[in-house]
Amino acid sequence: MFSVLIGHGPLCRSKKKRYGKLLTPAVTISLAILVLIVLACTLAPVVAPCDPNAQDLASRLAMPSSAHWLGCDQNGRDLFSRVLYGGRTALTGALGVVAFSMVVGIPLGLISGYYGGLADNLIMRVCDVVLSFPSLLLAFIFVAGLGRGTFNAILALGIVYVPMLTRLTRSLTMVEKNKIYVVACDSLGYSDLRIMYRHILPNCISTILVQITLDIGYAILDLAALSFLGLGVQPPQADWGAMLDEGRTFLLQNPFLSLVPGAVIVLMVVSLNIFSDGLHQYLDQVQTALPSFRTYERKYLKKKEARSDGEPA
Amino acid sequence: MIPVLIVVSVLIFAMVRITPSDPVASMTKGKNVSEETRQELRVRYHLDKNPAEQYLIWITGTLHGDLGESYQYKQSVGSLISQRIGITLSLVILSGILSVLVAIPVGVISAVKMNSALDKFLSVLTLVFVASPVFLTAIIMMFVFALKMGLFPSFGTGNGLWDSLYHMVLPSVALAMNMVALTSRITRTSMIEQLNSDYIRTATAKGIPRMRVIVTYALKNALIPIITVTSIQIGSMLVGAVLVESVFAMGGLGDLLISGIKAADYPVVQGVTLLLVFIFLCINLVVDIFYAILDPRIRLK
Repeated sequence: MFSVLIGHGPLCRSKKKRYGKLLTPAVTISLAILVLIVLACTLAPVVAPCDPNAQDLASRLAMPSSAHWLGCDQNGRDLFSRVLYGGRTALTGALGVVAFSMVVGIPLGLISGYYGGLADNLIMRVCDVVLSFPSLLLAFIFVAGLGRGTFNAILALGIVYVPMLTRLTRSLTMVEKNKIYVVACDSLGYSDLRIMYRHILPNCISTILVQITLDIGYAILDLAALSFLGLGVQPPQADWGAMLDEGRTFLLQNPFLSLVPGAVIVLMVVSLNIFSDGLHQYLDQVQTALPSFRTYERKYLKKKEARSDGEPA
Repeated sequence: MIPVLIVVSVLIFAMVRITPSDPVASMTKGKNVSEETRQELRVRYHLDKNPAEQYLIWITGTLHGDLGESYQYKQSVGSLISQRIGITLSLVILSGILSVLVAIPVGVISAVKMNSALDKFLSVLTLVFVASPVFLTAIIMMFVFALKMGLFPSFGTGNGLWDSLYHMVLPSVALAMNMVALTSRITRTSMIEQLNSDYIRTATAKGIPRMRVIVTYALKNALIPIITVTSIQIGSMLVGAVLVESVFAMGGLGDLLISGIKAADYPVVQGVTLLLVFIFLCINLVVDIFYAILDPRIRLK
């Protein structure tokens, strides 16, 4: 979607370089940011200067200083430490959502695409119903039924994310299953399960992988939205969405309380989107291999013309 | 659409009741009440019957325009919704119009000036707005324009037409941002595809002015994917409105829904979600009709 920024031109028609370059400047930077945020959050107990729940009432709503790098919240808790610990909650939550949708969605998609018929019909109708809800609304209802809390929010979003992945896997499987290698596997007497998981799935995985990196970004946003509304992570546990909600009451006293977690969310999701886009262009050979007609014309036909012009008649 | 709505209503009804929590506890707000009163409440809200009967009572009521009575407000859900739906709908409609008016020109310009500095700048901008959650945009706008500069009110809905519109400015712009970003990206991709096609070259070769080629030829054919994305976006705007309303304390449907979820107020949650899904499905239907108007090939299928 943001291919302009990735900087892949149409390229590599030669067989030597089947793939484009993965690490263009934009992708490298976004990858570095991702690694930095993930490392800082996972190593929070080592990196964080304070306990995220330790209250220092003397420095309530303090602005950034050398003691507290990003200042303190309304209870005198160190904001920098809370952002790091909040990242742990947000990232594990997002990974949980995506993991759940993979574990349920991919097998369903494989079955639906490979067997077709009744199973396909049934699975697709269920997907239709789930998709007839505006995205987050279904998660709201699940939370209403299951009760508020981190785990329930993750489960609810996981269920909401299943149909998209199922549909994607299904459509990829339907393309793959008609290819010769599947017929060959079938005639060798391989079991359906083996064909689906060992042969079809590896051929679909690159597209699924791109979708998954995108989904992690969406999951971060949606989980933050649930926590922001008080349906997900409950205070006093640190979480980016919940911190945004707590901080907005004190916007005038200390705007950092809301803006810092918000900025981290945006940074994280922007990097994920760029990375996913880069990955997509890297893996999707068709798109990188074939230039649009205009560029093709400009690059290759003109050259040919120039060459033929130069030749003596 | 009707079968989907029936399944959706069953799903909503079942989901809300998935855990055996006692709504009577939330009705009485933890006060100590006698077993008789509890029983009375159960009978009043049909909670003594089995789930299938409860569903039938609810769905027949809904078809007659009676969505039941809220546990926490002790008012009919229908009147609660009608008090608030105006706010939510006008918010969604305003930001929908706003985002389409901004997104399509932005997308067309970046497609026409593909790979220029302007295109790259707009790409970065949209990239940030896609990644920025609605509530963050809303908070930042409130902080900058309402609290720091004092240009717009920071909460409430106002009285009278102009005052209401004045109160709607920040919320609807905040809600529109996300959609502007996505729609303009799709417009760009779709326009680039059209501008590269043969009929555009023919039109240009015939000497038709560039402006006319872009607007009446390319844009018209690029509209289908744009409309698809817009319709999906309006669905997520219905939910985004919940978040924006919560930031600006506007008291729309979103506040009602969230407070209903927190208080285990089943009739409110069921009523509001069913309504939102209904609106969403209606939008999809309208979009399907639009497709047929725009593209005769779809009409034939």
